[in-house]
Amino acid sequence: MKLVEINGLTVSFSQYGGDVAAVRGVSFHLNEGESLGIVGESGSGKSVTCMALLRLLGANAKIGAKSMILDGVNVLDADAEGLAQLRGRSAAMIFQDPMTAFDPVFTIGHQIAETIRAHRKTAKRVAWAEAEQLLLRVEIKNAKDVLNYYPHQLSGGMLQRAMIAMALSCRPKVLIADEPTTALDVTIQAQILQLIKKVQAEFGMALIMITHDLGVIAETVDRVLVMYGGEVMEEGWVQDIFDAPKHSYTQTLLASLKAGATKPDDTGEVDDTAVPALELRGLSKTYRVHQGQGLSRKYADFRAVRTVDLVLPRNKIVGLVGESGSGKTTTGMMALRLTEPSGGQILVDGSDISMLEPAALKGFRRRMQVVFQDSYSALDPMMTLAQIVAEPLHIHGITPGKQQTETALDWLEKVGLDRNFGQRYPHELSGGQRQRVAIARALILGPSVLVADEPTSALDVTVKAQIIGLLKQLQREMGLSMLFISHDLGTVRTLTDTVVVMYRGRVVEQAPTAQIFENPQHPYTRALLDAIPASNPRDKRHRTFLSAADIDAATPRYTVIQTGMAPNAAPQLVSIAPNHLVEAVVTT
Amino acid sequence: MIAFILRRLVSIAVTFIVVSLIIFLMMHAIPGGPFDGHDMPLSDAVRAKLMARLGLDQPLHVQYLNYMWGVLHFDFGVPYQSPGDTIIGLLSRAWIPSLVLGGAGVLIGAPLGVLLGMAAALNRNTWIDYLASTFATLGLTIPVFVISLMLILVFAVWLNWLPASGWGKPERWILPIIAYAAIPLATYARYTRSAMLDTLNRPFVTVLRAKGLSERRIIFQHVLRNSAIPLVTVFLPMFIGTATGSIFVEAMFRVPGLGSYFVSSIEKRDYPLEMALMLMITMMYCLAYLFSDIVYALLNPRIRAGGKP
Repeated sequence: MKLVEINGLTVSFSQYGGDVAAVRGVSFHLNEGESLGIVGESGSGKSVTCMALLRLLGANAKIGAKSMILDGVNVLDADAEGLAQLRGRSAAMIFQDPMTAFDPVFTIGHQIAETIRAHRKTAKRVAWAEAEQLLLRVEIKNAKDVLNYYPHQLSGGMLQRAMIAMALSCRPKVLIADEPTTALDVTIQAQILQLIKKVQAEFGMALIMITHDLGVIAETVDRVLVMYGGEVMEEGWVQDIFDAPKHSYTQTLLASLKAGATKPDDTGEVDDTAVPALELRGLSKTYRVHQGQGLSRKYADFRAVRTVDLVLPRNKIVGLVGESGSGKTTTGMMALRLTEPSGGQILVDGSDISMLEPAALKGFRRRMQVVFQDSYSALDPMMTLAQIVAEPLHIHGITPGKQQTETALDWLEKVGLDRNFGQRYPHELSGGQRQRVAIARALILGPSVLVADEPTSALDVTVKAQIIGLLKQLQREMGLSMLFISHDLGTVRTLTDTVVVMYRGRVVEQAPTAQIFENPQHPYTRALLDAIPASNPRDKRHRTFLSAADIDAATPRYTVIQTGMAPNAAPQLVSIAPNHLVEAVVTT
Repeated sequence: MIAFILRRLVSIAVTFIVVSLIIFLMMHAIPGGPFDGHDMPLSDAVRAKLMARLGLDQPLHVQYLNYMWGVLHFDFGVPYQSPGDTIIGLLSRAWIPSLVLGGAGVLIGAPLGVLLGMAAALNRNTWIDYLASTFATLGLTIPVFVISLMLILVFAVWLNWLPASGWGKPERWILPIIAYAAIPLATYARYTRSAMLDTLNRPFVTVLRAKGLSERRIIFQHVLRNSAIPLVTVFLPMFIGTATGSIFVEAMFRVPGLGSYFVSSIEKRDYPLEMALMLMITMMYCLAYLFSDIVYALLNPRIRAGGKP
């Protein structure tokens, strides 16, 4: 029986006097218990379609359809009360960013219980007891405590679990998941996807999975809808779409996914005798945090980064990977001295810059540049692109005034933008275009070191592939040494020469890229690699997840003979192959 | 929390001393003295004797320390204007009309402002919104004495419904209360509108709708509570703002409250009264902000419940 049936849906938004069409004639259906994936990039209309199904769009949205049936009710005719009945009970939704999806001033328990009581007349006590049961079903172990927590007290992964519990609270017939893992770490993403599949089976629900990530589609759904520009490009069984995509857009999407499987071209051996472009020695960062309350206030040290050693050879790309909170961004920012290190040395071309005064540092700043994740907040909104790109020249007083603009325009061309973009402002550009501007600004000084902090994680898949291509090309042309900070292992695999894995402020493994992907030694590296979504539905599998305690317990052990080091119960980095270091315990 | 309050109390004490010094110095920097009046000229000998009796012949720092020593014992001295009285006695009488009228103004104006702001936010970009916003802007931009004048003109002179001025019978209170209410109403309307719009745009509101909650529950329980946090913190300081507002309102409506003393104490170089008024306002602002911060912490679980458990 058909649970959802949408026929010829159109949605347009009235903006500044005109109408912008977001969805143009989309039709699809969903059977009970079925899993449907809707894939497309931002602006393709995939979220808007599902928001329209529950009539969650704002007053400036105009919705039209031949028919739009949800659970036997024509949604377009429903009044406010009818809609409230459908929402939560016929279809429940989970959203992208769990951190902003809960009301910050109420406890988790209150918000789940309130959902139950909005649809069923039950006593408060009963609703809370039910909420606890739901939290247990989404594998939250300390459910009783979590009920009384406020949203800010939980991590993103835990909040997304609680969100799923809340969605389940009225036994919906279809669960709509709108990019449910995009804001989460890769290991957490795999856990949440598996949880969604589990509860879908347990509760016998249908599922609509909205995502830009084909890996997520491969892992979770039976049938796929590919959307582009507000229209359905292609529809079919997931295996057919992956094996034989008919539409050219689908082929492009799949190609950007497959690019993850090709190996980087080997640019030869590293010259060990040359001075590396950047070297970090025992770099650490400790933050002071408040503990305790009242008069007995205490300070504790939070060691965000503990003694990291890292070598960035000339003309190479080193990937720095790890989950959020692992200290990878802090390390990158310390390398540039944008965050002051608590200890250790930073060697640029062999000279230590960790203690330099600002005036002395300025010369080195020219050699080290950075590209950030969020290109929107990294560009001054009040400056034109030409001014933005030319600013570093101005700061370092390199070329005379008039020529600065010319050089900036040349660089806009070099990163694939038209020269007449020089007069535009950042808000007129797309995310990908803005990131190109940020790259131009970073490279206009001809630096030797570039730190790229998650430069593509805010971008769509196809755009991401273009930016990676651009970075790769410029790196080769300019002989750049690049520190590429990312949690996206697919990109790291295609781009980098060496991978450094960070976990809880430490480097736990470091090896040439090919080697680390083929032969990971540390349990955390394995967990990271295992969590990468399948690139084909055939490869999807059940995963077991390691807790932090499991990872600590599984620290590799090597003997004195294997490593040539003295026995030590505390884990330390040991060399197990040429250029392959892993954190391990050395035993006798 | 206790440590926080203690630290704030220390900083309040410091503020208090610094402000008292500044006021004291500024007060004495104004040329002239309390007995320079030309309407009733005094001989030099009499003036010198008076000055000596009031301690005004002593060096400034001695005068300051003497006065502050008195303040510590809640002795604010004797007003030069009416030597038979004490400042405590004078202020406690003058305080009542100001407190009744100003307090009623805020208590009526603030909730009305919240309602007006909500109406504007929930009907964004409709005539309701435009009307409410215009109203709020007028309330903030038209000086309070102009509002008072218009009230008197319309309700007392033209319509002859209400008495134009005075104190005593409750019907005399109505016009000054309306004048007092203008600023809190306008301020709250604007604050509420922008706070509600901010909250309505946050993702969790969409989640609440997707859960199937009624719109009424979403607005009154979730949106209002989240928007209330900034509103609560401006409430007490606004209350005290009526004290300075009283200068104009009370002059317009001839209410025997605090307002006139702000002006006359400076004009007549009535040093003890001027100090007492300023120190009182300073202390009330300090305590109001302290109290607001405590309420803010109580409303906001991020502060109340600490960090991650």
